[in-house]
Amino acid sequence: MPDPIETNKPQTSEPAPSAQPEKLGTQENRKWPILSEFTPEALAKMEKVLPGKLNRIVQTSLAGCIHCGMCTEACHYTQSIPEDKTLLPAYKADRFRKWYKYRYDWMAKVFPSFVGAKPLTKELADEMYDKLWGGCTMCRRCTFNCPMGVDYGMVVRAARGIMTEAGRVPQNLQDTVDTHYNHGNNMAVPQDEFIETIEWIEEELQSEDGCENFRIPVDKKGAKYFLTLNPREPKYYPMTIQSTAKVLNAAGVDFTVSSRYWDLTNYAMFNGIDPDAKLFAKWIFEEVQRLGCEYLLSGECGHGYRGLRWEMANWLGGVPFKITSAMELFAQLVQEDRLKLDKSVHDGKVFTYHDSCNIARSGGVMEEPRIVVKAAVNKFVEMPHNREYSYCCGGGGGALAMPEFAKRRIAAGKIKADEIKATGATVVLQSCHNCTDQLKEICEHYGIHAKVMNLAELLDPALVLTD
Amino acid sequence: MENKVSYALYVLQEPVQYMALTFMALMYAMKIYQLMKKPGPPEKAELKGDRYAGAIHSLANVLRPWGMESTRSHPYFYVEFLIFHIAVALTIGSTFFIPLTPWLMTPLVSKVIMVFMGLAFLIGLRRIYRRITVPEIRIISSPDDFFAITLMTVFFAVGFVTMWLWIQGKPETGWMWLFFLMVTFFLIYVPFSKISHYVLYPFGRVMYGQIFGGRGILNRNVR
Repeated sequence: MPDPIETNKPQTSEPAPSAQPEKLGTQENRKWPILSEFTPEALAKMEKVLPGKLNRIVQTSLAGCIHCGMCTEACHYTQSIPEDKTLLPAYKADRFRKWYKYRYDWMAKVFPSFVGAKPLTKELADEMYDKLWGGCTMCRRCTFNCPMGVDYGMVVRAARGIMTEAGRVPQNLQDTVDTHYNHGNNMAVPQDEFIETIEWIEEELQSEDGCENFRIPVDKKGAKYFLTLNPREPKYYPMTIQSTAKVLNAAGVDFTVSSRYWDLTNYAMFNGIDPDAKLFAKWIFEEVQRLGCEYLLSGECGHGYRGLRWEMANWLGGVPFKITSAMELFAQLVQEDRLKLDKSVHDGKVFTYHDSCNIARSGGVMEEPRIVVKAAVNKFVEMPHNREYSYCCGGGGGALAMPEFAKRRIAAGKIKADEIKATGATVVLQSCHNCTDQLKEICEHYGIHAKVMNLAELLDPALVLTD
Repeated sequence: MENKVSYALYVLQEPVQYMALTFMALMYAMKIYQLMKKPGPPEKAELKGDRYAGAIHSLANVLRPWGMESTRSHPYFYVEFLIFHIAVALTIGSTFFIPLTPWLMTPLVSKVIMVFMGLAFLIGLRRIYRRITVPEIRIISSPDDFFAITLMTVFFAVGFVTMWLWIQGKPETGWMWLFFLMVTFFLIYVPFSKISHYVLYPFGRVMYGQIFGGRGILNRNVR
């Protein structure tokens, strides 16, 4: 049942600024200089940047690999493309490790080739580019299978950061970061257009039966939850916002969205540039503070959730508010009986749930989605590998923003496609937009007739609305 | 058992070992200092789990073959790993017990160590074979990887024969000389080789445990 106290709270949204849209993002218009190949200057820059990227985890992980090969079966690339042995996590990380050893390993100072050390050459850098941008999604499944605790995700991110600093970063990925930097969200949605979209979605929502009083408050000061969105939602998937808002309204959740900074994504997690990652997190931080919300609520987005829930506090030195996710809040609402659901609307369908790597393995949200799913459907089948053991779908680590590696990305999704097929699912549920796009592509590519949807879209039609 | 040996072998078994051991300790101290200088993993977010429990859970991972899919699905590989590393520990122990507390090296104790050395020798051979024949392992192997496993395998073979002679009441043999010469070489060489991975092991495991334990992913049933 909706919380009457929250439902009856006066809606105190401020009038939306519309006449003069605010310039969001930074004051400058940045275009990151990108090189088409590694030049001697780029290599020199990489040599200069390397020491600053070696924190304790990265250094231990670079020095600690014993080449035991236990990561072989952990990786979705090696499982899906077994004929290419160079996709083994240890091999991929070695492209960076060889250079690290050349710089720092004691034995390598005397006998570099004995320990497999190599100086940074254009050839080695090219291999790094190919394997660490286009052959790894930083999903950390290998880390969970490494006896030494080598954190491949952090190693790859450090290597990517070094390459980006030197100007060798996939164009599309960097464009996404630059757009976020320049416009305040990664799809350059102008403030007035965003507000209009939200107002339109609100009208659509109110036109649904039983939803006449439902609202999507913008800039409501003192709201309990500060809802963040993935820019794909206002741009391409407005129904997702509508579904999320419907669920929150149905449960009487007091929430708001910001007219200024609402983008929860942080592609600087993928290109390894910490100052940008920190800046994007800071914008959200300041908005939550400005509106005085108790909770920062991450929408359904894998890396976005991890960035806000786990990395933001480290980037900013702590946060004074609580951070949760739509997945966790939905589960709480189900457990508190604040959502009345009719499972029969989903009868005849078979559901499975794909754990996004950043939500489960790196985020710790594993049972909550299952609480939601089991409350909404009658037929739910787990994939053979689930929760922290789930295989990456292949769309993580910014892979969808690197069209030059699209063929390999689709090939790497085969193990996930096989697991989906094995469940006989007609609906694949997940809570991440990158996973959504990748799962849709691999379902189509591997001939799986399954619909892909997130938890809000699952709950929406099952909601039984009461007065 | 008594360790009646010549002065020359005594020098090799004790003063030389102490010097080599001191050198090794110094190298490790430098390695650890270099690591500790780097910033550790921060976690300022509100935790879902226990970082300390996670670290302990992660350190104990070595004793939980069911804890990782990679060991769960390859129990034979895990058993090999376990025997090999127990043999390493026992062999290191024997290099102290033989000169310092030879009475502890009873025939029974010596036989147990000998059996582990023998098994570790066979496992070493299999691991060399695997490194050569499995394509994905071969392409990640450096000369250091081959040298380290070969050296260990030879060391276990030498140790096996040395132990057998020791049990026969022969404390000073050519094999014993070779055994302690190899120990000396190990102490000086290991800090520069992949064999020193055991120094990095606790760092890697503890950091892994802190991160994923704090996020509530590890030892969920404990919580």
